[in-house]
Amino acid sequence: MNRRYFLIGSAGLAGCSLDRRPRLNVFNWSSYIAPDTVPKFESEFGVRVRYGVYESNEEMLARVMGGNSGWDIVFPTNYIVHPMLANALLAPIRRDLLTNLAQLEPSFQQPEWDPQLKWSMPYMVTAAGIAYNRKLAPPPRAWADMWDERLRGRMTMLDDPFDTLGACLKKLGLSINANDPGELRRAQAEAIRQKPLLRAYLNAEVRDQLVSGDVLAAHMWNTTAQQAMDSAGELGFVYPAEGYAVYPDCMVILRESKRPELAHQFINFLLRPDIAAANALAARTTTTNRGARAILPASFRENPTLYPAPEVVARGEWAKTLDPAAQRLRDRLWTEIKAA
Amino acid sequence: MNRLRAWFLAPSWIVMGGLFLAPLAVIFAYSLLTRGVYGGIARPWTAESYQRLADPIYLGILWRSVWIAALSTVLCLALGFPLALFISRSGRHKNLYLSLVMLPFWTSFLVRTYAWMFLLRDTGLINIVLEKLGVIRAPLPLLYNNGAVILGLVYGYLPFMVLPLYATLERLDRNLLEAAADLGARPWSALTRVTIPLCAPGIRAGAILVFIPCLGAYLTPDLLGGGKSVMIGNLIQNQFTTARDWPFGSAISLALMAIVMALLVGFLRRQEEGLL
Amino acid sequence: MNRVVVNRTGLGLAMYAVAAFLFLHLPLLILAAFSFNRSRFTVWQGFSLAWYRAALHDSQLLEASSNSLIIAIFATVVSTIIGTLCAYGMWKRNSPALAGSLYLSLVTPEIVTGISLLAFYQWIFRFLRIPLGMHTVILAHIAFSIAFVVIVVMARLRTMDGQLEEAALDLGANHWQAFRYITLPVILPGVLAAALLAFTVSFDDYVITSLVAGVDSETLPMVIYAIARRGVNPVVNAISALIVIGFGALILISERLRSA
Repeated sequence: MNRRYFLIGSAGLAGCSLDRRPRLNVFNWSSYIAPDTVPKFESEFGVRVRYGVYESNEEMLARVMGGNSGWDIVFPTNYIVHPMLANALLAPIRRDLLTNLAQLEPSFQQPEWDPQLKWSMPYMVTAAGIAYNRKLAPPPRAWADMWDERLRGRMTMLDDPFDTLGACLKKLGLSINANDPGELRRAQAEAIRQKPLLRAYLNAEVRDQLVSGDVLAAHMWNTTAQQAMDSAGELGFVYPAEGYAVYPDCMVILRESKRPELAHQFINFLLRPDIAAANALAARTTTTNRGARAILPASFRENPTLYPAPEVVARGEWAKTLDPAAQRLRDRLWTEIKAA
Repeated sequence: MNRLRAWFLAPSWIVMGGLFLAPLAVIFAYSLLTRGVYGGIARPWTAESYQRLADPIYLGILWRSVWIAALSTVLCLALGFPLALFISRSGRHKNLYLSLVMLPFWTSFLVRTYAWMFLLRDTGLINIVLEKLGVIRAPLPLLYNNGAVILGLVYGYLPFMVLPLYATLERLDRNLLEAAADLGARPWSALTRVTIPLCAPGIRAGAILVFIPCLGAYLTPDLLGGGKSVMIGNLIQNQFTTARDWPFGSAISLALMAIVMALLVGFLRRQEEGLL
Repeated sequence: MNRVVVNRTGLGLAMYAVAAFLFLHLPLLILAAFSFNRSRFTVWQGFSLAWYRAALHDSQLLEASSNSLIIAIFATVVSTIIGTLCAYGMWKRNSPALAGSLYLSLVTPEIVTGISLLAFYQWIFRFLRIPLGMHTVILAHIAFSIAFVVIVVMARLRTMDGQLEEAALDLGANHWQAFRYITLPVILPGVLAAALLAFTVSFDDYVITSLVAGVDSETLPMVIYAIARRGVNPVVNAISALIVIGFGALILISERLRSA
């Protein structure tokens, strides 16, 4: 009987390796790409792509930190790029291999976190705000409304230290990129005060609960909120009055990758205007690709959630790389918030 | 003979040594290091992680884990004892009933926890039925709290309590009960003053088999507690994934192991007959 | 009078038992029932096999299931062999150190076993450059299954008469032959029961696997957890029902084989 098992098992393993095409392993945020992008890439280039998803930067970082995760391309938010670089996790990007580089918006050609685009390539931009059920009257308008007793047990905040601490900092009138320990501790106090009112700390996974009405207000990224609003008419989204965080997500190639040329080809593929436009449409995001923006339908470009009015844009604050000591303090404060 | 026996035991030693004891040694070393700036481990060597454990926030988590585990164990005992009693007295159908008790155990623990997610949520079956019957007007928040976690733990570990209880009850000498009856004891007194004391080894074994996994539970508080009923297991997982603070996570793990071992030594010291 | 009271207690106990069995089985039955619901909400909207079709056509689910199966089979075979040998050796003469280690591995919380293995693999990676993958998962499963196998086989060994082996030795067999031709056939039902237990524990494991799995070794519990985390999804109901039926059938078959 043992022999039979062994034969079956070996056959199974053999079956897995019969596929001789080169393989690329891509690790991305959930619901952040058009459904046909990966199949198109696979057929055009004759390769196989394993596409995994994660819900938060920390989840991704924990997996790739050891240097033996097996992924080739990941999508960190801009302020994570420098920590990854400091931990020798990134492979340099060869600009000569990226023929579509000129398609990037001029404002993203020399970004603050990577002026020569040597390590990362901008992908899409998201922002965090509040998604809510229109049953709530009056609807939430500011971060302070998320501390309201009427929402007890029916609201969630993002399971993300940068976002939740950022919301608390904004509520206190401070910058989301605060490095001062005193300010961070005040923000932590706010979060701990809010915790008894929360249902849970959830990221994109709260979308279903918002749609079904289990949750009335959720701290959410605008992309996820738009996806939820597509399914249910009674949902709304607001950029809070005190200000909000804006993040560009980037593509990076991991140093452990054994297929850097193929990785470059995938990044180049994502920079193609038609592909970038399809991704933006499907994922409901703001694109960093100039060529794509020109192709997007006018109705999409006028969507107030994804392309808000100038006065709303003025309230947004871009995420910046934090200094290491502050990053470390934030991680510790987050553990304490979760444990409280 | 001894040489052959050594060969028989060698593979187990290799596996236990290399895949159980060595990893424990590694996390012991990690618990004495410092967290790297963005995560992982770095020099210097320090006992700071253990000192952090004394913070009231973490002691609070320990306390919550202990009372949730203890309450779950007590509930398993209260619910499981009559069931074990029934099976031990049921004559011909003993094996059938035992299989019925064990059947849920053979299904995935994840599936069993998910079943309660399905039933307890705001738009789940229990709330819908209660609303239809007019008993309540708004859904009850049955999920994402300590109660849901305890329910999930009791549901998951009840078979672990029933089996040892049944084993002890089955070996009980009926003559003792008859003697008690002859001496005028009513069934309730016979139960409390004869049956239960004689069951003590089974109760102890069952309590250990339920309390320890409940103490280190991770899945149940994660799915049913909504990340708010943080127990030690969740804290450890959190330190090794999103918080990337390996030294602190290692320190918590070893503290948990110390508690578990202390319990075992205390509880099972009196029992010569172990499982192995 | 005593007889009447005892009967009343008996009736009460029986009713309680019925309630307890309902408590144990009803959640799973409801889960399975709603896997046939056309709507994804908890309002019955008609019978449908759509969710089963979705589950069986999902390539990620199928790959995860095959991974789980491969891992479980390899881990079961190896841990059963090693565990049986170990139980036999310890039955001859106990080894307190080994017994202690096995017992400790049994009671160590899964999360601690998982993170210690992860830390161990990451540490080894500095020297050996082996990525996380199927092999790391299989090794982890072997590690935690052995204790289960040893317990079950040991229980079976204890019911056996040691004199049988002595008789064989007296008749000229060597130790290995005595084990192979006398003891092994007697304890075979126990070995099979242990294998079944090891297989179940391995197939079902989430906590340890999720920590040590690599890119190509996503298992079925990991996929279920990822879906369940987003909320209730009838596809999970369908998968759960399939798992329950699958394992139920496995148990039934093994029971039949054992009593045959």
